[in-house]
Amino acid sequence: MVESKEYDVLVIGGGIAGEEAALNLANIGYKVILVEKDLSIGGKMIHLSKVFPTLDCGACITTPKVSETARHPNIEIFTFSEVQDIEKHAENDFSATLIENPRYVTDDCTGCQICEEKCPVVVEDQYQWNLVGRKAVYVPFSIANPRIAVIDIENCSLCGLCEKVCPANAIDFSQVEKKSTIKIRSIIIATGFELFDPLLIPRYGYGKFKNVVTSMQMERQLVPTRPFNNVLRPMDGKMPDNIAYVLCAGSRDETVGNPICSQVCCMYSVKQAQLLMGALPMADVTIYYINIRAFGKGFCEFFQQAKGMGIEFIKGKAGLIKEKENGNLIILYEDIQQGNVKEAEHDLVVLSVGMLPNTDFTEIFKNSRVEQDLYNYVNKVDELCCPAKTNIDGVFVAGTSTGPLDIPDSILSAGAASAEAAGYLNGGVK
Amino acid sequence: MKKTIDIMKEKRKVPQGVKDKIKAFNKLKKKILDSLKEGEKTIPEIAKEMDDDIDAITYNLMTLLKYGFLEAGDIDDNDEYYYYRLKNKE
Repeated sequence: MVESKEYDVLVIGGGIAGEEAALNLANIGYKVILVEKDLSIGGKMIHLSKVFPTLDCGACITTPKVSETARHPNIEIFTFSEVQDIEKHAENDFSATLIENPRYVTDDCTGCQICEEKCPVVVEDQYQWNLVGRKAVYVPFSIANPRIAVIDIENCSLCGLCEKVCPANAIDFSQVEKKSTIKIRSIIIATGFELFDPLLIPRYGYGKFKNVVTSMQMERQLVPTRPFNNVLRPMDGKMPDNIAYVLCAGSRDETVGNPICSQVCCMYSVKQAQLLMGALPMADVTIYYINIRAFGKGFCEFFQQAKGMGIEFIKGKAGLIKEKENGNLIILYEDIQQGNVKEAEHDLVVLSVGMLPNTDFTEIFKNSRVEQDLYNYVNKVDELCCPAKTNIDGVFVAGTSTGPLDIPDSILSAGAASAEAAGYLNGGVK
Repeated sequence: MKKTIDIMKEKRKVPQGVKDKIKAFNKLKKKILDSLKEGEKTIPEIAKEMDDDIDAITYNLMTLLKYGFLEAGDIDDNDEYYYYRLKNKE
């Protein structure tokens, strides 16, 4: 009989909150297993250009933490893996099934990308938010951790070229899904958030008009590892000179089922607008907003700085976006201050999409259920005294699994979760 | 020695969609590379010579740029479109 591996804490999700919680616990001696469903740890933050309001490089902040997590002797990481059937048997006694999906590439991979060069298949690169293609065998992105290739078997042509050319003999099509049982004493849910899908607002034309993009697509255009050679329109490669941001796309909108504010869209849009002024000095940038929520330390100054740079702010709710033959876009909006409907032409429109709960956590427990709040995030049952506590003793929550948060607040939340988990492991907090 | 790809070939067939994607990419790749053999061009200039949608040309050209087949040159006189040219792989 194969014995189950034992750990003190299972951290589900390897984004910034999961990493922070895992590191805090590992640093005080607990054995941590971190399970990430994606191909790399780092979450969404690793894909960002800069962070607000300091304009520090996102990758420069997150990659040291990613490396520290990956190298920590008390943390075992499983990427491209999932947990299922978590069962609580008693206090400090949980079991779970760990599923490791096959990459068809072994750990011997050096990330040289020779296989990628030879692969004949091109499909949309999900790590560039579909703005450019990638191969069926690919290294997810340049700063992925682990930096190991993966074969997208659903899109593989089975030509075998990757196996022929791999200098490390790391291609292994015989890999299969691996299932094992683990025993843990406590759990931290850090499954993060999903981005709002703007296809749910057809009047904005996303998916139909190529020059309507999401804020994450613009974020990728602003990083050094961008999909294009500069900030360009996806339709025809034109360098835009009149860019609009439509705020609250999928937030504060009952009609799409998300009535709450996503807390980060105002500031990331202001940040992107400032970065665009740097990347495209001749461009005009206009932000259509309902309210600017600049509530954090330095946020209001950051907003004022954007106005000082010449970014135009229009208090208006975009109603409809139409496309002209040349790919330019007409925004029909309600001018809230003047109380009338106006229209304006732009050559690129960015939808500042909101945050939605990632509800994966609802399906991973076998004999119990993690309670959700009114908006489907993990319910914090004692928000004031134990902000990471869930309805199941020994199960804690960190980061944006609790609700929309920015990066510093996610890290604070992870600190609370790790402290409460440590207390629980010592027989204190439940 | 038996390659592991043979194990996978016994388990699954290549979906038609994948074959179609390869054909579509190769077709556009050839057209774009042939067009640029004449010299550097902007995306609208390439699109004028083809029946394909300009957004498909942009997407595939950017993929060729990513994989080192092309390189970007200067921007045109109106500061609107970059010129792209074949990359000398030597």
